[in-house]
Amino acid sequence: MNNKKTIVLAEDNSTLSLLLKFRLEKEGYVLLIAEDGRKAIELIEQHRPDLILTDIMMPFVSGLEVVSFVRGKLNLGSPIIVFSAAGQEEMVLKSFDLGANDFMSKPFSPNELVIRVKRLLH
Amino acid sequence: MSKYQYFIEYFEQFPLVIQLLWIISGFFMIAVLVLISYLKMLRSYLRKKEKNTTKYEKEYELSLLTYLFSGNEVDEVNPEQQLIIDQLKTCSIDKLKRKILVSLLVKLKKDISGEMSESINKLYSQTGLIGYGIAQLKSNQWHVVVKGVRELAQFHSTEVYNEIFNIRNHSNREIRKEVQLYLVSLFNFKGLAFLDDLKTSLSEWDQIQLLEELHRGETQEIPDITPWLRSENESVVFFTLKLAKTYNQFEVKNTLIDLLLHKNKEVRIQVILTLGHLNVVESKEILKRNFNQSSQEEQVVFFKIFESLYDNNDESFLLEHIRHKNFDIKLKALSMLKKFSIDTFKNIEVLPTDIAYAKIFKFVENN
Repeated sequence: MNNKKTIVLAEDNSTLSLLLKFRLEKEGYVLLIAEDGRKAIELIEQHRPDLILTDIMMPFVSGLEVVSFVRGKLNLGSPIIVFSAAGQEEMVLKSFDLGANDFMSKPFSPNELVIRVKRLLH
Repeated sequence: MSKYQYFIEYFEQFPLVIQLLWIISGFFMIAVLVLISYLKMLRSYLRKKEKNTTKYEKEYELSLLTYLFSGNEVDEVNPEQQLIIDQLKTCSIDKLKRKILVSLLVKLKKDISGEMSESINKLYSQTGLIGYGIAQLKSNQWHVVVKGVRELAQFHSTEVYNEIFNIRNHSNREIRKEVQLYLVSLFNFKGLAFLDDLKTSLSEWDQIQLLEELHRGETQEIPDITPWLRSENESVVFFTLKLAKTYNQFEVKNTLIDLLLHKNKEVRIQVILTLGHLNVVESKEILKRNFNQSSQEEQVVFFKIFESLYDNNDESFLLEHIRHKNFDIKLKALSMLKKFSIDTFKNIEVLPTDIAYAKIFKFVENN
């Protein structure tokens, strides 16, 4: 039986997605990558992941909409970490209102992300 | 040949207008055909370029991540990393490949910090991309130089300090701005050395950006700012006054007092505000002494800071100005008198005929 925890990562910077995939898979997690919010929603519906990592600004569907969909429509309790850029403080507050559990401001350290993921999953 | 002859003769039988229309139509048909073929070629070229870009992006993305994850703490550069460095070094000779590689590094640097970000800086240097960045500094096109300086700043290339410092007084404003940001973002307060001989003016926006960069920096070790306060360049003086205020440079109070005699009124106003912010009590008596010779703007500004420097000996000075011709000064003097010496305030005689003054007095009394 596969006990590996699944994480969905919604991020439009492909290099960053790949880097986080390498880093988190090294820690024993299964990472599913979505390059935009629409794809992220599909993956979340399909896989019901243990944790969701999402950028706020993404094409088609924003990170806020992803959080809203997960909490409002899917009623999924998986922890959500939101990535934000400088100057998006208001968006971060909105994402907390919608049900996000944590946030990281870009640029962030991948090692710090791993610590936060572990804290939320164990 | 006879067939063509027939067409020519047939064409010549047409009236001149028809002939002209045929010629124009023919010209446009040829032009459309040429344009269609050109667009087709351009489209296939762009598609090929895009395909290549995606291909190289994927390739370099993988190399970059392998480089970042194969590092260990024992060796500075392990054989696997060295192999990637050599490959990327070869690739960076080609302009397009170099552009893709640099944009990939920039894109990742924008989103990550910590050890990996430092590794990317190292890779930029190891792959020789730094050399291309330096070469951009010698370009005749200003935007290329700006791009070069920005790139070198993004990858924290401190080793090119001299090359960049040498262009600090470049004739192009954008280049100067980028150079200043490079110096301050990488060397913090030490980077402000360009102020020593800055020939041009620092705009308000430039000053805000520099303060923002200084704020982001880790070092708070502030050098002696006195020479900049004495600069011939007034924008440097304004900027240094902002520094003195932001970083509470009480040590420069004597230089600030000297600047009360500066030839520029705007400088003197900012100096008064800075002295007030730093609570330099010694400046109060000088400002009081010079009050009547000062401009009205300076007098208003002095009354703004007067409250924080006030002591009981200043009561007579206040009383002298409760009927000042300037509304702001009059109002402030009355408010301060009410705050610090209520008995004296109550004894002020207000003539009922002086309606305007009575209104101000009533306002201060009730607030």
